[in-house]
Amino acid sequence: MIRFSTKVRSLLMAGAVATLFAGVPAVAQNAPQTLDQLLQQVRRGSQEAAERNKQREAEFRAARDQQQAILAKAKAQLEAELGRSQQLEATFADGEIRLGELTGQLQERMGTLGELFGVVRQVAGDTRGVIQESLISGQLPGRAEPLDALAKSKELPSIQQLQDLWFLLQQEMTETGKVVKFPGTYVTTDGEQVQADLVRVGPFVAFTDGKYLRYESGQGIFVELARQPSDRLAAMTSTFMGTQSGYADVGIDPSRGQLLSLLIQEPTFLERVDQGGIVGYVILAIGAIGVLLALERIITLTITSAKVRGQMKSREIRKNNPLGRVLAVYEENRTADVETLELKLDEAILKEIPRLERGISTIKVFAAIAPLLGLLGTVTGMILTFQAITLFGTGDPKLMAGGISQALVTTVQGLVVAIPMVLLYSICNGRAKSVIEVLEEQSAGLIAQRADEEHIRDRAA
Amino acid sequence: MTELLEAYRAIQTFLGQGGWVLNWILILTFALWVLIAERAAYYLFSHRKVFNDAVAKWEARPDKRSWHAAQYRTMLISQAKQHIEANVALIKTLVAMAPLFGLLGTVTGMVAVFEVMKVLGTGNARAMASGVSQATIPTMAGMVVAISGLYFSFALKRKADREVERLSDTLVQE
Repeated sequence: MIRFSTKVRSLLMAGAVATLFAGVPAVAQNAPQTLDQLLQQVRRGSQEAAERNKQREAEFRAARDQQQAILAKAKAQLEAELGRSQQLEATFADGEIRLGELTGQLQERMGTLGELFGVVRQVAGDTRGVIQESLISGQLPGRAEPLDALAKSKELPSIQQLQDLWFLLQQEMTETGKVVKFPGTYVTTDGEQVQADLVRVGPFVAFTDGKYLRYESGQGIFVELARQPSDRLAAMTSTFMGTQSGYADVGIDPSRGQLLSLLIQEPTFLERVDQGGIVGYVILAIGAIGVLLALERIITLTITSAKVRGQMKSREIRKNNPLGRVLAVYEENRTADVETLELKLDEAILKEIPRLERGISTIKVFAAIAPLLGLLGTVTGMILTFQAITLFGTGDPKLMAGGISQALVTTVQGLVVAIPMVLLYSICNGRAKSVIEVLEEQSAGLIAQRADEEHIRDRAA
Repeated sequence: MTELLEAYRAIQTFLGQGGWVLNWILILTFALWVLIAERAAYYLFSHRKVFNDAVAKWEARPDKRSWHAAQYRTMLISQAKQHIEANVALIKTLVAMAPLFGLLGTVTGMVAVFEVMKVLGTGNARAMASGVSQATIPTMAGMVVAISGLYFSFALKRKADREVERLSDTLVQE
């Protein structure tokens, strides 16, 4: 304030000086003619100047007084404002204290309620998760949204929201205990949406006629399982849907869909076969060749033994079967003595046997080789597994899985091939043996029988 | 009736736990016991006739000494033997197949266990349980079938041998 007033004063002085100099050329304009005139003019001038100065001084004083009054007023105002500021500061401090008191009081009074709302938010969040994943939401969609808002909000929940939460929890609980049939849509493996009657057993499993469904919680839709559980379980769904009252069996997934979703990850039959590797394919090739060979043998031997049986009953000799050919040898050597005949018959039988036994030992060898190859596959698979362990350690079972799959799959393939081969060998061997037995043990007897009958007939004639 | 239903359900559960191999073991067991029953029925109803027919044919023959007679006797014994020994070899094969099926079940069960391990790791023992039961139940079933069939397979073979022996003793050559 003080600095401001000095500034004003110096400005005023500068103005005064400027007016002083400005008077000089005016004086010069009406220049005096004489010295007296000059003297008078000077006196007048000085008088005028003194008067003017006096007047200006008065003016300055008045201005000064005025300024001083303003200054005093401003000072008073400042004084007043300072007072007010102090007063307000005091009020503010008072308010602060009061606020603190009140907050404390609020906290005190809210105490358990604050905790309660925390719990409400947490429960709402948890419930949202459960309800979103729950199969029941497939039947009653859009239940999780109000919970979403409740779980995320920072404000106190309203009574309505609390009631909604309660209702949803209660609904989930009630629906868990229900078996419900409802019209709905599901997506088939081809990606088509199909309208059908769906049945939901609690939150555990959903199915339609003959198909188990998976609940895709992200999209809120039912999807047909790409791979269904066993046929027996699938057939149960149909009977279950047909049952109107009482009890019926049906497959339930107690893990709420996890087990069923694992079914999809199971490799297909062909993927399984492929896991066996080269050894597996060798085993399968042996199996295929062996089965074809065995079938050919069984068919041939069955036809042969049928013909032999026909020959045994018939009188005339047909050369299309082993027994007929042996009997033909007798017919050709009717006149020969017994020992020669026996030798000839033995020779004829020996000629027939290799044809009957052909291929049977091969089947036996295949039946023995298949499990051995399976064992080979097991060992190579184990080698792969141990290589994986050497490289990556035992930490990740997935890395070892390839070798283990090969080991187990080849063993399975070996057994799958060996078991029918054993049976087929047994059948072929039985067939061949019975025909050979007929040739070896019965052909001579048949000949003897014929000879005797002819003998009797000859005697009768 | 309810007990029957309960039993049926128990069997269904058992078969479900054992996996597909157990179904084959069931078929095998059925075939095995049908064949054993067939043998029992043979010895009960037809064997006497087969035996007596052979004896009667031999007795009806006046000449029991010549080469012809010897060959005829061999034929009679052989024909009877085919009746007596029918299916015995097949029974033996089926008995031998039963443990092989058991082994197959073990391995397929292990495959299932490893499949679960691949997806869930080694931590979830409960998820592996189904594979383990698939591995153990067929093995046990195979063993039970093999052991129970083994006695009959041997007994039938011995009986057949003895009957053939008896027949050849009865058909006396002079």
